[in-house]
Amino acid sequence: MKNPLRKRVLRELREEIGKYLVVFILLVTTIGFVSGFLVADGSMIKAYNESFEKYRIEDGNFRTADEIHLSQRQQIEAEGVKIYDNFYIETGMDNDSTLRIFQNREDVDLVCLMQGEFPQAADEIAIDRMYADNNDLTVGDTLTRDDRAWTITGLVALSDYSALFQNNNDSMFDSIKFGVAIVTKDGFSQLNQDLLQYNYSWIYEEKPKTEKEEKERSEDLMKAIGKVAALEDFIPQYLNQAIHFTGDDMGGDRAMMLMLLYIVIVIMAFVFGITISNTIRKEAGVIGTLRASGYTKEELIRHYMTLPIIVTLIGAAIGNLLGYTVFKDVCAEMYYGSYSLPTYVTIWNAEAFLLTTVVPLLIMLVVNYGILRHRLKLSPLKFLRRDLSGRKRRKAIYLSTKIRFFQRFQLRVIFQNMSNYIVMLVGILFANLLLMFGLLLPSTLAHYEKEVQENLLAEYQYLLTVPVSAVSGNKLDEAFALLDFYLGTKTRNEDAEKFSVYALNTLPEKYKSEEILLYGIIPKSSYIQTDFEEDGVYISRSYAEKYRLKEGDTITLKEKYEDDTYSFRIAGIYEYTASLCVFMPQEELNKTFSLGDEYFSGYFSAAPITDIKEKYIGSVLDADALTKITRQLTVSMGGMMGLVNGFAVLIFVVLIYLLSKIIIEKNAQAISMTKILGYTNGEISRLYIVSTSIVVVVCLLVSLPVERWVMEILFREMMLASISGWITLWVDPMIYVEMFAAGAGSYLVVAFLEYRRIRRVPMDEALKNVE
Amino acid sequence: MFLTIRGIRKSFGAGESRVEVLKGLDLEVRKGEFCVLLGPSGSGKSTLLNIIGGIDGADEGSITIDGERLENMNEKKLSLYRRKHLGYIFQMYNLIPNLTVRENVEVGAYLSDHPLDVDELLHTLGIYDQQKKLPNQLSGGQQQRTAIGRAIVKNPDILLCDEPTGALDYNTSKEILKLIETVNQKYGNTIIMVTHNDAIKDMADRVVRLRDGMIRKNYCNEQKIPAAELEW
Repeated sequence: MKNPLRKRVLRELREEIGKYLVVFILLVTTIGFVSGFLVADGSMIKAYNESFEKYRIEDGNFRTADEIHLSQRQQIEAEGVKIYDNFYIETGMDNDSTLRIFQNREDVDLVCLMQGEFPQAADEIAIDRMYADNNDLTVGDTLTRDDRAWTITGLVALSDYSALFQNNNDSMFDSIKFGVAIVTKDGFSQLNQDLLQYNYSWIYEEKPKTEKEEKERSEDLMKAIGKVAALEDFIPQYLNQAIHFTGDDMGGDRAMMLMLLYIVIVIMAFVFGITISNTIRKEAGVIGTLRASGYTKEELIRHYMTLPIIVTLIGAAIGNLLGYTVFKDVCAEMYYGSYSLPTYVTIWNAEAFLLTTVVPLLIMLVVNYGILRHRLKLSPLKFLRRDLSGRKRRKAIYLSTKIRFFQRFQLRVIFQNMSNYIVMLVGILFANLLLMFGLLLPSTLAHYEKEVQENLLAEYQYLLTVPVSAVSGNKLDEAFALLDFYLGTKTRNEDAEKFSVYALNTLPEKYKSEEILLYGIIPKSSYIQTDFEEDGVYISRSYAEKYRLKEGDTITLKEKYEDDTYSFRIAGIYEYTASLCVFMPQEELNKTFSLGDEYFSGYFSAAPITDIKEKYIGSVLDADALTKITRQLTVSMGGMMGLVNGFAVLIFVVLIYLLSKIIIEKNAQAISMTKILGYTNGEISRLYIVSTSIVVVVCLLVSLPVERWVMEILFREMMLASISGWITLWVDPMIYVEMFAAGAGSYLVVAFLEYRRIRRVPMDEALKNVE
Repeated sequence: MFLTIRGIRKSFGAGESRVEVLKGLDLEVRKGEFCVLLGPSGSGKSTLLNIIGGIDGADEGSITIDGERLENMNEKKLSLYRRKHLGYIFQMYNLIPNLTVRENVEVGAYLSDHPLDVDELLHTLGIYDQQKKLPNQLSGGQQQRTAIGRAIVKNPDILLCDEPTGALDYNTSKEILKLIETVNQKYGNTIIMVTHNDAIKDMADRVVRLRDGMIRKNYCNEQKIPAAELEW
């Protein structure tokens, strides 16, 4: 005969439909979203990983000052690589963006056509899909630069630009103001050839097997190229952010999503646990009788576990179904909104199923089994006597009679429901962390942008480029080129102030090596107000914050492509947050790096400099250029933040609703008794709801500094692991107000529902359960 | 008359399963009187007590207490009525489990503008030394004393007792009855007590015997026996 207790399961579900429904909704939403994410992430990571072979992604690229000729090519290829031309021309467009235009590739870094077709004529172009989206361009539109126009024939993903990094040293890619495109061979030859960049991609004849080997081989290759050509840039694939940033980010998101799922499941498991404990208390007499009649502890554990497990199982099944259909597309859109990924095919993900169904079920089983085993360990007699206090009788916590009666009563309610409130605190901490993340990012980015704009070293920083002919090897050519450079970079602008700059890299330790700019400043500079000590340098505030450096510390930096290292003592921190940099006297910088006494790299200026030759201006660093990271993060993550906030509020409401419902249920008899005694609903609500309100308010307040502390750690890790440069974590005081208001507002809704519940507690409740 | 009950009818269920529990009762109780409602299970005594207490409503009939008619009162007025006039003692004590003995008594005191002195009452009830304990640390007798304290601390006009000794042993039951007797004498509350125990009728001023929802006997004891001398 089957256990007759199973007949109670459906009835219990009917009676407690509200409770199970909210848990079910939360589980379906969480599992659905995470499952959708894992499926999309898995499918896209697979497509991304396969793209290396499918689209023959390069093993690295380098740029030379001049086109390499055949013998140079042969010498380089003797290192066991095959070299492919991958020239490009970079040009500003009328829509205020920069486009890097390649000739369509045939042998390496192949292009994935996402929409439309490849260009056929010289005036046709296929542009990156993300760049198109961010600039409201589509197939059939016209792209213009001065008097030239191209018809967009297709939207594409260049396999070596899944993240649109213009420069490998950039803190973040910029898919709004920077894009890549392909044109036909004819079309490419009609572009301004003065801007041609001699970029070459290489593929190893025999792929390195480990990252260490890849590093060693790329270092050897760089030295070999350096011997035969003037190297301007050298990026092995493993260091190429445009190729690897996407894969790294997708991997990181996956871990974060799983963490989110498991935290929600554990919280829900404890909510079920508390609910079950409450039921056991309510049904102590029945349990005692069943145990006395011969029912085993295991049979009762199985019985009380049935509903949570069924709810989780159905939640996981429906969640997975939604994950594979609705949420998968939502998540894929999030990735397509950030990265230029090739097309993908949805693949059945057994691991996603395991992680979103089996693992949650196991967590639910383990937590509930543990709680039930603990609660049911008492003897049948104890249950029959409704004495569930265990071996030790709980003593009352002393409360002075000087405290007013109502307040003492409220405190007692808090003491009685401590386990509920602990779960509530954990839930609030978790929900508020999500909420803080959702609210914080836009404001941190806005603050960073404002700070950068207000604390520019100068309104304009002109970085000059020395002509290639100045280092051609031909003494006469070099002399003329240097003379022209000298004359062409002279300015009469009174605001202009010369500076030197030299780039070094941090030592690769726990996190990847990144570029540090060393500025050489003239004495009594109008732009950098600091007095340099004899043997010290100043570092920017962002550099100090990111690497936790302080005055008196010594920093060691290395040449990017060589092993030479340089150490500097920090004499002070300079309040500058736009980039990681070092400030030192110009004379000392020129001397340290043997650049010559007269050397300078550019100008600081408060006004645009118009009298230097444009061909010698390598780049202009203004507020717009320095804030590209904020633009990109806003585009990539802005939409997701709304989802995060909504999810946080959902968790908050569900959790507080369930736990306060349990508290009212647990005290139903006492509430009924107080009604009989003549307490009004208002008074009873003050006793029971105000207690929870106090705890919610305290939890909310406690959560604020805790969240700030946790967020500092998480934000720092996020910045160190995935972003070059540094954004100072800045929490707008309004965020605390918003977090508190969101929590309090959600709680008000729950409190109203609880007030209705208290009103509905019948007076005959006190007359029941008289066993 | 302090409490007047006229033509009270009450039934539960509907259709074929409808059971008429009270079939038109009339009863009068004087102020300060100790009235015992006796009868077998299902006779309707607890239902009558609940209707007097305003926690259940009658289908027909009227109840007047000190000039106030219960049937005209809405939920809020009934709360106020219970608050002003009634004290309740149940067989299973119904103490609030997370409040100490003293705090449980204070639950009653809070409802009155002029409550009795809690310390003095705890002494009277013999639970002063237990005042910091939680209900689950007390014996049944001590819990019932606490429930009595909670009921009488607001000095109610009527004390409604539903089988107050039903869960207690002989000696403890006698202690509780003595206490109720003392309360009645000391504070002059009207007491209506429901009981199965026939012996208790001897300590009452009025005895009302019910069977099948009707009053079969209603008489006053000419000579009461003190609770201490009761035997059963």
